[in-house]
Amino acid sequence: MIEQYTITTTPKYNFPQPTTDTTLPQRFIELSINSLRQVNMNHFQINQKTIQQDAFTETSPTQLQLKRQPLPLTPRHQETIIAAVDTSTIKIGETSTGIIIAIRGTTVWKQNRNYHYTRLGPFIFHITEDNKNSVYNSIERAYFTVQYQSSHQSAPNLMQMPMRLASLLERWLQTMLAKTVSDGIILFDGSLTSGTIDTPVQRMREILTTARRNHNTVLAFSKATSLRANGYLITDLLPNHEPPYLLETSGVRFKPPTVILGDVYVARLNKANMAFRLDIDREVPVEKKMEAVEKLIGNDVLQQSYPETLRLAHILATFTANEVLAMQHFITRKHGIQIINRPDMHRLLFGSFGKEGYA
Amino acid sequence: MKLYKKEGNIIQILSFPNENAEKGDYLMVEDADAAKALIVQVIDVQFAAVPGVLEELLRTLPDGGEPIQGEDIDPLEIAPHITYIQDASLLICKIRATLESDALSPSSSWLPSRSQSIIRKLSVPMLMKLAKVDGRLPIILGGTKDSSLLTIDASALDGTLNIITGKKGCGKSHLSKLLMVSLVGYKATVVILDLNGEYSSLGMTQDGKRNMYYDKIHALTPSQNFKVSLDQLHLNVVMGIMVHALHLPGTSAREFKRIWKQLKDQGHLTLAELGEAIRNLNCNQHVRDALVSRYHSLVSSGFFTDNAAEATLLEECMMKSKENGGAIVINLRNTGNIDRQIIVEYVLGKLVDSLQNWKLKAVFLFAEEAHLYLRETYWDDIVTRMRHFGIFTTFITNQPDTIQETIYRQADNIFLFNFTNEHDLDVVSRAARVDAETVRSIARDLPPHHCLTLGRVVRDFPMVARVRALDLKTMGETRLFFT
Repeated sequence: MIEQYTITTTPKYNFPQPTTDTTLPQRFIELSINSLRQVNMNHFQINQKTIQQDAFTETSPTQLQLKRQPLPLTPRHQETIIAAVDTSTIKIGETSTGIIIAIRGTTVWKQNRNYHYTRLGPFIFHITEDNKNSVYNSIERAYFTVQYQSSHQSAPNLMQMPMRLASLLERWLQTMLAKTVSDGIILFDGSLTSGTIDTPVQRMREILTTARRNHNTVLAFSKATSLRANGYLITDLLPNHEPPYLLETSGVRFKPPTVILGDVYVARLNKANMAFRLDIDREVPVEKKMEAVEKLIGNDVLQQSYPETLRLAHILATFTANEVLAMQHFITRKHGIQIINRPDMHRLLFGSFGKEGYA
Repeated sequence: MKLYKKEGNIIQILSFPNENAEKGDYLMVEDADAAKALIVQVIDVQFAAVPGVLEELLRTLPDGGEPIQGEDIDPLEIAPHITYIQDASLLICKIRATLESDALSPSSSWLPSRSQSIIRKLSVPMLMKLAKVDGRLPIILGGTKDSSLLTIDASALDGTLNIITGKKGCGKSHLSKLLMVSLVGYKATVVILDLNGEYSSLGMTQDGKRNMYYDKIHALTPSQNFKVSLDQLHLNVVMGIMVHALHLPGTSAREFKRIWKQLKDQGHLTLAELGEAIRNLNCNQHVRDALVSRYHSLVSSGFFTDNAAEATLLEECMMKSKENGGAIVINLRNTGNIDRQIIVEYVLGKLVDSLQNWKLKAVFLFAEEAHLYLRETYWDDIVTRMRHFGIFTTFITNQPDTIQETIYRQADNIFLFNFTNEHDLDVVSRAARVDAETVRSIARDLPPHHCLTLGRVVRDFPMVARVRALDLKTMGETRLFFT
């Protein structure tokens, strides 16, 4: 029997105590351990290219327009909690039947001028063709009381599993923040696009609704966007105006079933010549949207126009090479799986020309 | 531990936090297939270049330099594995020998298997057994880090040139006293040129009682209980004093020699007669003046006397020491520079004389800060000519650059205490039996009273030991104002 873990709050973490279930999903841990026990061969191939996955690419809608008139922003220094979520996944090895992956999620919040974090994981899974559905569905059932049918095919590809599981953890962490933070700003990494393979529309809508109910505003920052207006990336079309400001967009519509639940802006939040796509919950009134961004500018540090809270969430979630080694060490020691280094076929066949992506 | 790399006679070993290897430790790299093992010594401990460590450290300090507060919920307990990898260290080791069929050889020409070699710590007693550092006349230097004793053989000091060096207050004199009393314990004759008067009470315990060495310590204080009459002096000894200590020029030296012989033949070799003879000498005024000034130096030293009852026979002390061992301590504490040189010239001259005539078999000479009283030409003399007569010198200094490079090159044993100054370490590194990396790396980190022993006494396996305490009244402590 595995001990029950709970997200305990630090003394300074004075979010309102949740009335909802914030129990760390027991199932996540159980499945992680069980999946590793199922590695019935005694060796695995260490990964030769570790991929930190976090991107979702969307095709740009053709009717997208970017309004040239900036919406100027004035920083509001009124004390406001800024919270952010990010998750990371990495493939740490292969077995003859599947892959071994690690997932980790982080929430960071800024309160009383100090940053705090809670980091969950890493959770290590051995995913095979045989167990991928059961692992995914078990976790989804354990995390989310309501199961939404994704409009996409429900059986994920083995190679998509790291991202699918990480996305599941991310949505759960977002739900928890939406439930526990009040009168704050919640920052998401990415967009408010839903109806995708790993984000059912209803789930994202529920997260945003919960956040609104607690008087929070969700701001989603995309580090990279493919949205273009008149053929140019929207983040490249910056007017000659003193920052901080937002640029409004219109006509952002995706092909069904993909839906966007936020209004899309281009945010240039300080003098750094950088701008990001910013999605703000569509159901929030315009004045509240502006106020939320102004509170963000007034309360958080902005580096290269990007909120520090979100940057920290990303940094703390990311796996370092040292951690990958440690996880390989853990797998070897705890589960007796021998690490062998199979030759890289690209290198073997093409020598120094055998670089991934060029062969 | 895992063998990582070999370059020349340096090997690098990856060590994990629970393996706990430190500088100075010996390791054995055993290759069972080759039926051989390398014996290596850790000379430096570095962090292993684990990928991602920089990112790991940087992300804990993003909040204006203050560590970010947070909580890690790590249900699989991966964190200990992360710190385990992060704290892995790289041991830089010097190959000291190859062990094959229970015999040691200095070879480092073979390469043990990287994947199959087993690396384990080699305890000092085990190493000493392998290196056969035991002997019939053990001297316990002190305790090693693994709580064993570092024991050397007194016979390994026989016929050798030794250097004890380290910065002030780290225990050099203490070690020289330990060696000295141990040698006396084995019936050796020891002569100490005691610059600070700290060896005179070695016959007493710390609480002032007589110890086993009481009857063997002969403390001689010049112009007090150590005086000589001129008729005890051989001409070559007195000429050494006149020429080397008092810098008498050649022409004047010839005149002095003539006067000396004349007085000796007449049986009137006293200070008074010598003075009278110089005053009445019919020669060049400059020569007479030179002789008069040297004569006054001899008189004012207080070391020479015409009173036969006052004169101490150094030879007598030597003879006493010859049978059952003993230490003749020449206390130079309150003597001036010139007088010191006169006394040292006399003592060394007398020693050579006694050894040449086989009145003594051999003498262990301990010389503290020898540059303050030893003339330049004596350095080479001591390590070459005098060694053949049986004077085996141990130099003790906190200024290693005052000892000539030729001395370092010929030193058989070096007892090295802590040095932090690069220049001092460079000087010591010139010793032939020492490799510079070992000296630089280990000596810099030696705690007080810990000594790195190098050379013949440890069969060229450098070893670190904390020098053991002695129940002797040492009087070597610096006088303080506030305590």
